[in-house]
Amino acid sequence: MSSDILSFIIFLPAIVAFGLMLTTRDVNTIRNIAFLTTTVILALVLKIYIEFVPSDGMQFVTNVPWIETYGINYYVGLDGFSLTILMMIAILIPTSYLLLWEGRTKGYWINMLLVQTGVTGTLLSLDIVLFYFFWEVMLLPVFLLIGAYGFGNKVATTIKVTVYTMFGSLLMFIAILYLGVAYHNEFGVWSFAYNELMKITTIEYSSRVWLFLAFLSAFAIKIPIFPLHTWIMDTYKNAPTGAVFLLSSIMAKLGVYAIVRFMIPIFPEIYIEFSVYFVAIGLFGLVYFGIAALMQDDIKRMFAYSSASHLSFIAAGIFSLNEYGINGALYLIIAHAIATGALFLLIGLIHEETGFKTIKDLGGIAKQAPILTFIFAIMLFANIGLPGTNGFVSELLIIFGIYEFNHVLGFISATTVVIGASYMLWMFQRAILQDRPEGSPILKMRDLKIKEIVGLAPWVILVFLMGLYPDVFINKFEPTVTHYLNDILHIGATK
Amino acid sequence: MNEFFYLIPALTVLIGALVLMFMSMYEKFTVKNFIVVSSIFLLIALGFSLADFTESYSIHPYAELINNVLIFDTFSNFFNILLILGTLLTLLIGEHYFQHRSYFKGEFFSILLFALFGMMLLAHANELVTAYIALEIASFAVYIMVGFNTENAKRVEAIFKYLVLGSFIGAFYLLGVVLIYGATATTNLSEIGTFISTHSGDDMILVYIGLTLILFTFLFKVAAFPFQSWVLDVYRGAPMVITAYMASTFKIAIFSFFLRAILQDFAPIIDFWDNIISVIIVFTLVFGTWLAVTQNIVKRMLAASSIVHTGYLLLAFIALSYKDGQVANIDSAYATMFYLIAYLLSALGAFGLASHIISETNVRVTYDDFKGLAKERPFLAAMMTIFLFSLAGIPSTIGFIGKFYVFTEAINAGYTELTILAVMATIVSVYYYFKLIAVMYFYPTKDECISVEFNDKRVSTYAIAFVAILTVLGGVGSAIVFFIPAMNIDAIISLTQTAVQSLFLK
Repeated sequence: MSSDILSFIIFLPAIVAFGLMLTTRDVNTIRNIAFLTTTVILALVLKIYIEFVPSDGMQFVTNVPWIETYGINYYVGLDGFSLTILMMIAILIPTSYLLLWEGRTKGYWINMLLVQTGVTGTLLSLDIVLFYFFWEVMLLPVFLLIGAYGFGNKVATTIKVTVYTMFGSLLMFIAILYLGVAYHNEFGVWSFAYNELMKITTIEYSSRVWLFLAFLSAFAIKIPIFPLHTWIMDTYKNAPTGAVFLLSSIMAKLGVYAIVRFMIPIFPEIYIEFSVYFVAIGLFGLVYFGIAALMQDDIKRMFAYSSASHLSFIAAGIFSLNEYGINGALYLIIAHAIATGALFLLIGLIHEETGFKTIKDLGGIAKQAPILTFIFAIMLFANIGLPGTNGFVSELLIIFGIYEFNHVLGFISATTVVIGASYMLWMFQRAILQDRPEGSPILKMRDLKIKEIVGLAPWVILVFLMGLYPDVFINKFEPTVTHYLNDILHIGATK
Repeated sequence: MNEFFYLIPALTVLIGALVLMFMSMYEKFTVKNFIVVSSIFLLIALGFSLADFTESYSIHPYAELINNVLIFDTFSNFFNILLILGTLLTLLIGEHYFQHRSYFKGEFFSILLFALFGMMLLAHANELVTAYIALEIASFAVYIMVGFNTENAKRVEAIFKYLVLGSFIGAFYLLGVVLIYGATATTNLSEIGTFISTHSGDDMILVYIGLTLILFTFLFKVAAFPFQSWVLDVYRGAPMVITAYMASTFKIAIFSFFLRAILQDFAPIIDFWDNIISVIIVFTLVFGTWLAVTQNIVKRMLAASSIVHTGYLLLAFIALSYKDGQVANIDSAYATMFYLIAYLLSALGAFGLASHIISETNVRVTYDDFKGLAKERPFLAAMMTIFLFSLAGIPSTIGFIGKFYVFTEAINAGYTELTILAVMATIVSVYYYFKLIAVMYFYPTKDECISVEFNDKRVSTYAIAFVAILTVLGGVGSAIVFFIPAMNIDAIISLTQTAVQSLFLK
């Protein structure tokens, strides 16, 4: 049973979702069942987290043939890196349900469940075709969520985001097939498992570069890395809160995850060779999106840019080729998921309650909703990277990493953090803290309910726990990173 | 086994067609009776075809009578099963449509079975003239069915375009046969094959020209560029169910004969046409995509996108090549056959569902008319979504696996650039397929499209649901759905392998 636990975690939400589709119960029952499902998964993931042995490599592996003719296996498993993200997903999703609790429809909850299957499957797949399978499938519920429950020009938005991301995915698809064929020609058998594809030696250099770029296009669009970010503004602005939360907190992180899981092992030398460009692009994106965020008036668009800015920072860390940078990037994945997830959910709540969505219309929320403001502030500070929060630890590590990679870029990255602080604090002051000017429309904002506070409490605790005792968490995935640096990239781990 | 046994499926269909013809003389039979009778004959034929479908064999029964012009092997049997299944499903999905259109009389079902008989004969044909006759039996039956829609003024245009162009291209075929006969003094495929493998140089010029002319017929029938211009109007003017039938089943029949000819007999020279077909693929993909994007009528969009799917199929086709006395990349033949199955299911589902929806009204023709379908009929909308996913090649449907095979084999054969182009076409196809999904789900229903007394508990709905289930199972396979043995993807592939291998039995 213990080896099938991952399959159970992956497919439980989908099975429940299909069951719910056929029922005619009221929305509350459906939501409760959905919530229960996610808590069951959380419990199972906790069990895995406890049983996991950090130094053992891949664990809980299931590897059964799916399409034998082409050597495609149903191959899932996890190591320290995916476990950390799995834990993050398992915690974030049920608590997000608590904040989305009221006023949704049946379709909303069913799609939320289906997304969970998609993201967990993507995270745990070790066969690259299976990975592609889930990678595409996780997009479909989001397509429906945005189109059905979005705002403004939602249909155009949802088609745009779908075609945009599919563009990258299908380029990756060709690259996957090319790798599979190359493996077949070299070894005489078919296989699409990532650890088998690593052994390919026959592809010439120029083709490898193209394959690398094809893979990157899929992940860079999802993350997004400059200049493939043009879909996010409309999407984040028009999408419903749940979809924005999923896209920014979870799916974007899977893009980063996939770079580490598949691209680094399969194209190690190109990764090393090109890293300087990507660190530079990442830092440029950090600055560019930061400045763009400063100029936004629509609060969701502002957060879209802010999210893109942080993700560029993560990407820069991933490409920094040393333990500090990569550890920091992984840590920032979690920190950013928590902080941004919470902020997007709170913004969504404010939008739904007040009907206002621009920064200049808002204001004076602090007086009406002190608890909300308090939590908002904590998440904001975590996002900026105030000492004591998890954001601080991760940003510091990435800056160390980039400094070690290249001193000039290191200096730049250290100074860019100021931009993040400025747009965040400026927004906070205008939208939340300051009193409403005379004569502006009346704004009514309720404070958080008990249920929502309970939902956010673990996130707040995690922010500080991860900020004060980073070792506990880093120890889970550090061996994996060391393994990558020593055994795959052969550049040695520095400590 | 008795030789007669192998003839039974085709004969059953023929007898069924004749019986239906006699039945149509009497007024007292209703459309329902005809559907039941034809289904029974089809089921019998299907049962006999399924009796030995995993076995590998190749025989020429009653050699003195049939004189080797027909061949009965696993390959033809495989296609027979697909063709019968396609016809049966067309019939069942169309049940609703047939009953609400006054112009469907008894003889229609007779013609449908004649068409099927022609297609099955085509799958068995081992001789060029026989193939032509079989092709014309099927084509003429289809011409008549295209013109059945007496309520639609477009039908005249449709039937004339198809009939004139089809006959014209048929003349090309005959000219090709004559030239080949001039060079080889035979029209039997096996003997032509022997000629090809023993001659070269100047002796072959006429054969090359003749085969090129025959290739034109093939390209016309599968609607590849530059022979695609009839598709949109014919598909548009034909009754919806017939469009479904033409797009899915007829295409399979065409492929069955040409795949046989190429693999079994013309293999040594197939690389001759690679450049031509590469160019044709490029244009087919680009042109089909452009057409599909610009359509505002769902039926025409599906028709145009079927051109794009022809492009994918041809991609698998040129991946075949000949090296060192045998067919290299034989895997791409399996890929072609798998893709045909995938396309049969998804196109039949999509077209059939569209016909089901418009059965009682004449609306729901443009994208606009599909608005709000998800709220009115959530199950039908969900199934339409499955078919569109499959056509777009989204994972978890059989269309994805089909594309996976075709693209893998094309890359394997070295056609990486063409594959990239095909993937680009796929990206655009996501746009026009998803547009329909978006329209169904994200807009309120239009008032004039609401039909209150629409009863979903009928054969059509169940048949469509059956196809939808097959579409999903074929894409997910058995490993993920907790080891359901049926519809294993590997099982289908091994069936195609057995079928193709039977071509080389001597």
